[in-house]
Amino acid sequence: MRYRWLGLAGLGVAAFAWGACNTDDLVRVNEDPNNPTTAPAPPVFTYATRVSMQRWFGRNPMNMVGPVLTVQQLAESQYPDEDQYLRLDGTVTDASFINAYTGELKNFQAVVDAGKATDEPLIWGPAQVMRSLLFAHMTDVWGDVPYSQALQGDAAEAIILPAYDPQEDIYAGLFNDLEEAAAAMASGGTQDLGDADPIYGGDGSKWRRFANSLRARYAMRLANVDAPTAQAELNAAISDPGGLIESNADNAQIVWPGDGVYDNPWSANNKSRDDHRLSKTLADQMVPFNDPRLGVYAQPTQCFLNPVAGCPANPPKYAGLVNGLEANDAATFAKVTSRPGEVFYSTPDFCVDCQSLNGATFPNFIMTYAEVSFILAEAAERSWITGDAAELYEQGIRASMEQWGVTDQAAIDAYLARPEIAYQGGTPGLRQIALQKWIALYTDGVEGWSEWRRTCVPETVKPGPAAIFNTVPRRYQYSVREHSVNSANVQAAIARQGADEFATRVYWDTEPEAAPTWPGASCGVR
Amino acid sequence: MRTFIKFVTALLAVAIVPAAYAQQPTTVSGQVTASVGGTPLAGAQVAISTLRVGAMTDAEGRYSFTVPASATGEATLTVRRLGYVSRSVQVALTGAPIRQDFALEVGATALAEVVVTALGLERERSKLGTAQQQLTAGEVNDTRAQNLVQQIQGKVAGVQITSPGTQGGSVNVIIRGQNSITQNNQPLYIVDGVAVSNANRGGAPFVGTGTTYDYGNAVSDINPDDIETLTVLKGPNAAAIYGSRAANGVILITTRRGRNTDGRIRTEINTNITFEDFSVFPDFQDLYGQGSSGEFEWYDGNYGGINDGTDESWGPRLDGRPICQFTSPGAGTDNCQPTPWVAHPDNVRDFFRTGVTASTTVGVSGGGERAYGRISFGADNVAGMFPNNLFQRRNVSLSGTFKASERMSVDGSFHYIRNSGRNRTGVGYSGRNPLQSMFNWFGRQVDIEALRDYSRGGATNGGPSNAEFNWNYSYHNNPFWQQEKNPQLDDRDRLIGSVALNYRVLEGVHAQLRTGSDIYRFGVQQLYGERSQSYGDWAYAGAFRFLNDYRNDNNTDLTLSANRRLTDWLETNVVAGGNLRREYFNTNSQQTPGIVVPEVYNPSNAAIAPTVTQQVQRRHVQGVYGSAAFTINGWWTIEGTARNDWSSTLPAGENSYFYPSVNTSVVLTDAFPNLQGGILTSLKVRAASARVGSDAPVYSLAPVFLGESNRFGTQPQYRLDPTLANAELKPEITRSDEIGAEVTLLDNRVTLDASVYKKSTRDQIFDVEISGASGFNRKWINAGEISNKGIEALLSVNVFQNPTGFTWTTTFNFAKNRSKVVDLAPGVDAILLGSGGFGDVRVEARRGEPYGAIRGYKFRRDSATGQLLIGNNGRPLREANLSTLGTVQPDWTGGWGNQFSFGNFSFNTLLDIKVGGKLYSVTQMFGEYAGVLESSLRGREEDWDSPGIVVPGLNVNTRQPNTVNITAERYFHGLFGFTENYVYDAGYVKLRELRLTYALPGNWANRILGARAASIAFTGRNLVTWKDVPNIDPEFAYSSRNDQGIEVNMSPNPRSFGMNLRLVP
Repeated sequence: MRYRWLGLAGLGVAAFAWGACNTDDLVRVNEDPNNPTTAPAPPVFTYATRVSMQRWFGRNPMNMVGPVLTVQQLAESQYPDEDQYLRLDGTVTDASFINAYTGELKNFQAVVDAGKATDEPLIWGPAQVMRSLLFAHMTDVWGDVPYSQALQGDAAEAIILPAYDPQEDIYAGLFNDLEEAAAAMASGGTQDLGDADPIYGGDGSKWRRFANSLRARYAMRLANVDAPTAQAELNAAISDPGGLIESNADNAQIVWPGDGVYDNPWSANNKSRDDHRLSKTLADQMVPFNDPRLGVYAQPTQCFLNPVAGCPANPPKYAGLVNGLEANDAATFAKVTSRPGEVFYSTPDFCVDCQSLNGATFPNFIMTYAEVSFILAEAAERSWITGDAAELYEQGIRASMEQWGVTDQAAIDAYLARPEIAYQGGTPGLRQIALQKWIALYTDGVEGWSEWRRTCVPETVKPGPAAIFNTVPRRYQYSVREHSVNSANVQAAIARQGADEFATRVYWDTEPEAAPTWPGASCGVR
Repeated sequence: MRTFIKFVTALLAVAIVPAAYAQQPTTVSGQVTASVGGTPLAGAQVAISTLRVGAMTDAEGRYSFTVPASATGEATLTVRRLGYVSRSVQVALTGAPIRQDFALEVGATALAEVVVTALGLERERSKLGTAQQQLTAGEVNDTRAQNLVQQIQGKVAGVQITSPGTQGGSVNVIIRGQNSITQNNQPLYIVDGVAVSNANRGGAPFVGTGTTYDYGNAVSDINPDDIETLTVLKGPNAAAIYGSRAANGVILITTRRGRNTDGRIRTEINTNITFEDFSVFPDFQDLYGQGSSGEFEWYDGNYGGINDGTDESWGPRLDGRPICQFTSPGAGTDNCQPTPWVAHPDNVRDFFRTGVTASTTVGVSGGGERAYGRISFGADNVAGMFPNNLFQRRNVSLSGTFKASERMSVDGSFHYIRNSGRNRTGVGYSGRNPLQSMFNWFGRQVDIEALRDYSRGGATNGGPSNAEFNWNYSYHNNPFWQQEKNPQLDDRDRLIGSVALNYRVLEGVHAQLRTGSDIYRFGVQQLYGERSQSYGDWAYAGAFRFLNDYRNDNNTDLTLSANRRLTDWLETNVVAGGNLRREYFNTNSQQTPGIVVPEVYNPSNAAIAPTVTQQVQRRHVQGVYGSAAFTINGWWTIEGTARNDWSSTLPAGENSYFYPSVNTSVVLTDAFPNLQGGILTSLKVRAASARVGSDAPVYSLAPVFLGESNRFGTQPQYRLDPTLANAELKPEITRSDEIGAEVTLLDNRVTLDASVYKKSTRDQIFDVEISGASGFNRKWINAGEISNKGIEALLSVNVFQNPTGFTWTTTFNFAKNRSKVVDLAPGVDAILLGSGGFGDVRVEARRGEPYGAIRGYKFRRDSATGQLLIGNNGRPLREANLSTLGTVQPDWTGGWGNQFSFGNFSFNTLLDIKVGGKLYSVTQMFGEYAGVLESSLRGREEDWDSPGIVVPGLNVNTRQPNTVNITAERYFHGLFGFTENYVYDAGYVKLRELRLTYALPGNWANRILGARAASIAFTGRNLVTWKDVPNIDPEFAYSSRNDQGIEVNMSPNPRSFGMNLRLVP
């Protein structure tokens, strides 16, 4: 009797033991049923493009909370702390730094890796161009950043704490990357990204033009600090058989679905927030000259449209708000300064007398024919290329008008004919080119800010009265997480580049006096 | 594995030594009663353990059993019952019937007390080598709280329980400090032998870092009235046998069972009604109304008038001057008729209502010799303090035992629970938390009564036509509208059940096969009305989020246990078993920020394509375990346990981990009877050492791509998982050592139970932050170490002990734990646990510091004088880098309970004490920033701009005393981000419980109510809070995760008064 039960008990224990040793079953249980271990490249490209556009054109420290205010395209009417440089330190911009690498850069890298593995240049080429654009944004904002060792956390020789590269080396790398991508895409391939590419729909020839245009953009960025390289790279970009962006039809831009999930980022912000106004700095460069783009960039003021109690007697139609006021002061100007233009709205809440409300689908301009024209105009003015600077300058302005939907040719002609606008040549001409580029780059905060740092045009960009620093930031602070996790490499970068402060200048900004347009030490100083 | 089977077989062979057979039967019978009052004790075990014969007492306390005829001579007859001191007598087995009655004393902490320990085994305290503390039903149920765990606050040494504040929210329970850097630090809950889920859907201090709502933790489903005993096993030593999840300790709950009542029905009733309000409430100022720079005039509530969009109270003095307000006739037009600008001092308080909690449990039990059972029904209804907020819980418990034969019996236990919340408020810095507005961003002149009629619509005072009537249209919703037109519905349907087949292989040798499951479905509907400021696209008619969780955890155990005396000096207690654990979790969600038709919350009504998610998680763990305890001469016990687990979440080949423990206890007063004397009654010392292994989170071994449910236009999207998988993870190990002593003095008048422990968890599995520039922001690794060292003590003194007159028992518990983050990953100095959302405060695990360092910005100070440095603008300056400003760890925690009784009256009090630790208060920071708190009157005692504030300090440039006079508004605005200024001592002393009981005389109870005993009590909870921090309750939790210490607009814990009626069968 006793032994029978002992036997049964033993059997039970043995059954458990057998179950316990059945490790194949355990391995199967731990296979993630929710997510694949590999994904095709095109949807990864779509994701990376989308997320990068939301970052660099949306309400976050890389656009509406940061550079757009820093370079004074817009001003803050409700939260001027953002405009006083209070929301720019390394704790606030931390997520932008980290997520740019993990969100867009790593995913573009994954597409590059997949495309190179199957030798499909029209898969990896566009991803490499985008990767270059975004690395350039990173280095333009922070200076030295991880580049050559970046994005290799999952490599066979994994690098989880990448070193920071000098900006000079990053720029050299970007020229190579862009050249390599443009050359490879010339050979085509059996596969392209097709509709998964929200920028060009997989059109390899347009990607080549974009690649060359970017190369020209970054070449010109080095004009002050390393003119020979700038000139050489610029000429290389121009002479590439793929060519540059040749018309607004070639513009690198993303058109938003506008389905409520993926809307134009400014329009998404403006649905429920009313805290931005056209900056007075920008308005002062447009209003006095009847710039036809004004009606696109901005709305008439509330007091102009609906003069109620508290409105002044003759409210201005278009006016800008001074950046960096005290909160109480800024609020008092809310009704007599211009909100962003109708093209950035999809609901009537903060868009009075608006008709189309198509803002959700409005594109973001990544690189345009207008910008290319201004780059060429500057190169011509500097005699780095042969060409008529005046003609290129006018071409840029007309391209910008067309890009922003201005169709009134008479108004455009009248604008171009104004003595302040008509091209003057020489250093005043360079200043005009820079100013027009700054106006044309509306919404592209980072690029606008970089070009302003290079040219100091317009000189009226100065810290607001309540800003916590007396100088316009020349870079942002490093990520606090990087300071804590990747400390040795951050410290090496700081030792090379200078203190981790807003006033420290990045490599291409270290010789401002070489810029013909630089006014001297007063640049950006309150 | 084979070695282990040999080990088990050998153990069993030792245990099952054939017993001798005797010739004449002897009947043993008698009655067991309580020594005080003489009430019969049911459920006591009376046995001659050497002969493995015995019986349980019935409802009258009677027992009877027959000793086989073969047994003769002297034998020891022992009676044991939970909560009482065991007694033994010598009897002579002669064949003649033996009548033996027992009167048992209540065992407070006496060594002979029988307690429930790991695996639900009942053991005598004298034989335990590990620390634990047991509470009876009465001790648990002194007062009523929404979550069972709150009812043991302050009662168990070394267990730190933090109530959420928010009704229905998460309770955070930490036993002997946190072990894990980023993973779960909550104990394992076992109900009737089945591990139950304590899954947490908690909130977070800031919306950006987590969810808006705190749905509490799942252990709150347990009905406190069903509890017989609750035992806390304090660390890995006591819990090694439960496996991986026991590293943080175990809370072992035994529910009430039926018993043999000779067919009679026993009824029990426990009913409570309590009334709740806030235990702490902020002090608001009533001198200045909404606006800024002393100015305000309403036009459209969105900056159309003068500062009428601002939600701060820096406006004109509330002196009755006429000002156009949101309630003024003609508001929103050019013909607004100004109305007097006056204070509404109670405008915040009047938003709330008195909460009412009504809970009743009715239980019926009974049965015969072969089968008995218990069924109970419980209903809890809580009308919350926030308008329109309700909670309901319905419990049905059914348990029964069927004795198929002398050898075989079947036990079953089923608990069905439905737990529902209606219109919970959000927590933390969220528009769904009405306190975000009312405690911080508010106009002090706002007439709250005018807001009740929100259906007038915004257009009636100049607001948007699709908005509800409100006092502000730029940032806030009407709080009443929020509570009534944004339904928040959550329901959990849960079944906890187990079935056990018991077979008595031999006397003293039992086999048990038990399988138990915890199954629930949890559904959440977050519905947002048109133009909600918290979620949704204003171009559409509303928004919704649906969330569904399904969980099914199954545990099957086969155990063999043997409990016998081998010789007259050696007793053994051996258990061997195997366990299969299967966990399945499935969660899915649908959400859209825009719907077409208002108030129809259905994906078919979505205007914007809903985002859909689905996640399945499975885990299997297989384990074998054994324990063997040997007691020598009745006073020295040595026990060893061993367990090996195979987990699905670890890499193949590396998924097996073994963990042993040993413990010993010596009753010195039995070993050396000379020690006993007038002072020392008994003395036991114990020591234990254990290690517990732990596995990894599911799916952390292989990298994946994550899809997005929303297409970009027509295009699918995929991205690499930014957390880097690691195929080389190994199990993490917690080691723990403890020693302890249990002393009773002065004839059991004084008892002291004290422990000293240290434990450390190494090779922790966590997703460490790596440089994001690597393309990944986290990586799963084995690294890091946390150590905890501490002491804890429980002292109980019977100050007066007069069975017929006055008695007074006082109990004090004390625990001090020193936590230290010994190491993190290579190159990592700190790991973020939580943040306030504004970049100004972080709670971190920081190398070399206690777990939970609060980091933030300090004032800049002159290095020579220590004075504040002031800028030219008259405002203080802050340092550029973050500093550690304190830790969330308390210096010590404790509780002091007193129990007085006189005749039929008894009176219990409990003070819950937490000393030290820091918190950061956003309520205080923004309350001053927005000028609503009384403390923000500084500098505007005379008018909005006078006398102003000259901040004491030195000008940063001149180092001369600051002379710049600034307005209060500029001063307090300037303190934004000055973390140091808003870090406070988190300590408190709370009058946690108070209970005055009148026991109805026994005959009364019997005659009128048909019960054995009945009592009526008045109860109170959280009646008084002594604290340092102004305006807020220092006790708060958003979740049972690790991001504690940042207070953001938390609802203070409720203070409650109530009545309780109890009928005991």
